Amino acid sequence: MSRHHETVISPVAGIHRRRARRIPQSPGQSCPGNTQGEPLTRNSRRLVSFLAAATIASTLAACGGDDDGGGGGGGGGGGTAEDNEATDPGMTEDTVLIGAHYPLTGPAAPGYSEIPTGVQAYFDYVNANGGVYDRQIEWRYLDDGYNPTNTGQVVNQLVLEDEIFAMMGGLGTATHNAALDLLNGEGVPDFFVASGSSLWDNPEENPYTFGWQTDYESEGKIIGQYIAENLPDAKVGLFLQDDDFGEDGERGVRQYLDDDQIVEVQTYTSGNTDLGAQISALQASGADFVVGFNTPIYTALARITAQQLGYDPEWFVSNVGSDPQLVGSLLERFSQGAISGSAPLEGTYTTDYLPTVDEVDNPWVQLFQQVWEESGQEGELTNFRIYGMSQAYTMVQALQAAGRNPTRDDLVEALEEAGGDFQGPALAPFRYSADRHAGISGMAVSRINADGSGEALTPVLVTDVGDAEIEEFDGEASTPPENGIPDEEAIG
Amino acid sequence: MEQFLFLSLSGVIDGLVYAAFALALVLIWRSTRIVNFAQGSMAAATTFIAVALIDNGLSYWLALVVALLSGLVLGAVIERVVVRPVEGGPELNAVIVTLGLFIAIQGAVALIFGVDQRAFVPPVSNRFFQVGDGFTLGLSNNGLYTLAAVLITMVLLIVLFRYTRVGLAMRASAFGQEVARLLGVRVGRMLTLGWALAAVVGSLAGILIAGDVAFISPNFMDTLIVFGFVAAVLGGLDSPIGAVVGGLLLGLALNYVRGYLDDSLLGMAALVILVVVLLVRPGGLFSTTPARRA
Repeated sequence: MSRHHETVISPVAGIHRRRARRIPQSPGQSCPGNTQGEPLTRNSRRLVSFLAAATIASTLAACGGDDDGGGGGGGGGGGTAEDNEATDPGMTEDTVLIGAHYPLTGPAAPGYSEIPTGVQAYFDYVNANGGVYDRQIEWRYLDDGYNPTNTGQVVNQLVLEDEIFAMMGGLGTATHNAALDLLNGEGVPDFFVASGSSLWDNPEENPYTFGWQTDYESEGKIIGQYIAENLPDAKVGLFLQDDDFGEDGERGVRQYLDDDQIVEVQTYTSGNTDLGAQISALQASGADFVVGFNTPIYTALARITAQQLGYDPEWFVSNVGSDPQLVGSLLERFSQGAISGSAPLEGTYTTDYLPTVDEVDNPWVQLFQQVWEESGQEGELTNFRIYGMSQAYTMVQALQAAGRNPTRDDLVEALEEAGGDFQGPALAPFRYSADRHAGISGMAVSRINADGSGEALTPVLVTDVGDAEIEEFDGEASTPPENGIPDEEAIG
Repeated sequence: MEQFLFLSLSGVIDGLVYAAFALALVLIWRSTRIVNFAQGSMAAATTFIAVALIDNGLSYWLALVVALLSGLVLGAVIERVVVRPVEGGPELNAVIVTLGLFIAIQGAVALIFGVDQRAFVPPVSNRFFQVGDGFTLGLSNNGLYTLAAVLITMVLLIVLFRYTRVGLAMRASAFGQEVARLLGVRVGRMLTLGWALAAVVGSLAGILIAGDVAFISPNFMDTLIVFGFVAAVLGGLDSPIGAVVGGLLLGLALNYVRGYLDDSLLGMAALVILVVVLLVRPGGLFSTTPARRA
């Protein structure tokens, strides 16, 4: 990329930036230490030549501000703390700022508000052990109350005022969707959206956005196949959140269950807490097996409402809404009635793509237990905190792969190039590549025991969106590195 | 048919709760000509007091009494300290003050009680009655309790306003402050009393709603504020009977929307109903002639 390209900018380019990702800079070509450079995209460069007459000289700083840049650029991982340089906003010589939005208040807060504390614990652990390339990871998260309008605001603040280097784990489908354009427009790596929507896997439109957890459609397929094979006589009712979360799940389920077996579909809007009409419609339809794609509090509300109605179907709650610890504590006070006290979710089917807190022999859970205790935060290790730590673990892997002085684009490139091979707590491999921004590729079906632990009903199954087959995962389960911190090689 | 009956009965119960909330708005409107947007967070505050007491082992009924009393005090204090200075001034000032209160009280509740969702178990079973062979009525003991609580409150308010001297003085103060003052009514006290009573009714609505929604957080009343406001305006803002009828109509309509259409349409449905009613009867269903205002 020659210098004169970078000093020319078209008014159109700014708009176009939103859609097309900047060309990743490889070490030889990039400008070391470039902080303000605004490299153009392939598309916008094409536009520049088309609209040559309209182009104007830009006042944006070209690269080359640092005369003795010290080499290294985005790629290399060698060197010492002496070689650290500030690159893009949020990446200073000794810190890197990561941000996110979570529902810390409101109906989606129970459980989800614990995730960032898990992230904090793992980043603290890494920082205490020297950080990544001698940089401390700073973690800043804001409350959006699970309200997309707020998400827009808080992400604005994170990107424009706080100047995060990257976002990690922004939670929610509708919520995060409201921030997509801003993040991709500003070229902020938007990693590991905490939602299984297929929206995040769209490198063409959203080159900076990556999913992480198993997508809802794949999950729906695995659930659908399990029911079709093992419970062929079940009359299935679907209970869905009224957005992409529910829709993706339903699409997956319907690939394996025919329309006759699905006797009723009911949806709820997050925030409306009266489920009487929906649950009574499921009851009236004769559904004896309810499959829910809903948030945890709606699992609790659906149980309470079903109890009110004297309705007692079997339940299959997708991963998102099935945490036995959380739903159990929500239902505790209602336990005098039919919902039994110790294990309100006993017998509920669900899915897993991460080890769970009850698996005390799992080396990942042991690591996270240790990390959590060392962090000294209030509360116990929960599945939500394991989720947060697992995401933080993948983030550290990506930062390592991006090299000592990465730009935001270098980080994205590193995940595309190396992310597919990252080993971590997830049960199934990631699908990251230049063409795919989808995360974990599978999960296992399990059933919740009386003590809240899960009993695996299937091996880990891997699949993908669309027509992809469901297959058994034939790889080895990974184990954590000795010191609990990944050791990815820098790419390039 | 079963679904229709279910939706209708549970709609009536929901509607009664909206009515109680609308009643609180109407009381304040009648006494001070202010729409109290802070009503929702005031009710949330007293409900959280009740929850804190219940969590510490107190019985529901004792907690209810304490919550209603704290509502009384809260309403009186707010009127005397915050609202009095803007009373009689431009209407917009009072509205802005109550909006500010709404946010401030919600924030205070979050600070004191935290933002976690808390379980709220109703005092009596909310299991719907089953008739015959699996026929579910949209009615439970808790529904009957709600029905009784709201109706008793209604009757007490009617008795107070119609048949007592204090009620008469309150009506006079609301009708024409200067005239009432000339006739020896202590208008200031009546206004304080009006706010206090309204806050009691609002507190009751908050607690009834909490028993219905199962989980509460400091902003759990937010949607209810909209519905209560719509119910009050439907009834004409000036009429307690209107508030109850408005609440019932809204409860029924919203439940049909929930059951036959989609619950994402609830907010819109409430506003469509409001617009239609106001187009047909601009003063609300139970409006009296505008000349009544002194």
